[in-house]
Amino acid sequence: MAERNQVCEELLKQVYMSGFAMDDVLLYLDTHPDDKEALNYYRYVRELNRRAVEAYEQQCGPLMFDQVESEEYWTWVNGPWPWEGVCG
Amino acid sequence: MWRYEKRLQYPVNITTPNPDMALFILSQYGGPDGEMGASLRYLSQRYSMTNKECQGLLTDIGTEELAHLEIVAAIVHQLTRNLTPEEIKSSSFAPYYIDHTTGIWPQAAGGIPFNACEFQSKGDPITDLTENLAAEQKARSTYDNILRVVTDPEVCDPIRYLREREIVHFQRFGEANREDGSKIPYEIEHITCLLLFG
Repeated sequence: MAERNQVCEELLKQVYMSGFAMDDVLLYLDTHPDDKEALNYYRYVRELNRRAVEAYEQQCGPLMFDQVESEEYWTWVNGPWPWEGVCG
Repeated sequence: MWRYEKRLQYPVNITTPNPDMALFILSQYGGPDGEMGASLRYLSQRYSMTNKECQGLLTDIGTEELAHLEIVAAIVHQLTRNLTPEEIKSSSFAPYYIDHTTGIWPQAAGGIPFNACEFQSKGDPITDLTENLAAEQKARSTYDNILRVVTDPEVCDPIRYLREREIVHFQRFGEANREDGSKIPYEIEHITCLLLFG
């Protein structure tokens, strides 16, 4: 369990980093919609984020409810919730 | 963490402006039983909620309320488009217009600004879930009142949808309350600890 938490913590860190890059380029592109360099960067970080989210969700559970895969239990409600400050 | 989805939860397409109706419906934006209070209530209550199912339910209903807030704003916005100065002057919307033009600002139908005192976050799961049951019924009553005075089917349609969601939320909170209530022994134990050592 502790090992899984450590793995999830590392995977979540990748989601945090690529997620922030997405948040930041989003705002820049809103005010610079024809900046080709920023558009390239957006595609680059979107791919990083997609992979990071996929890796996290495979091992640690869904980040968004429509990624729940279990046919046995609604794992969306599995704790801990993010504000509890515990990972995975 | 939230991401925006570029659509309304339920479509709003109003072709005939009506500033009097807009002011009534604005109450569900920032009035005593409006969607602003609803979303802040549920999203704020999550942190002291003690079981994971209720934490999830508050997150998901709180999120849906933000989508409802947007629907209400869209209705008010579309009801106040392309008004002539004469139409504004002869409507109950005139005083609001002087302060906000046709911007969306959280207030009750009677002009009282949005106030956090319109909801509670008590830090007690049973108290909060019980408050939420009443809140959903108060919002449902307000939508009923709006439906009594609105005649335009293009306005009634999304209002009926919002009213229906209040009933669904009431049902889910009722289930959450029973679920949480079944774990009362832990709560009593906790309170006893507070009395003994607090």
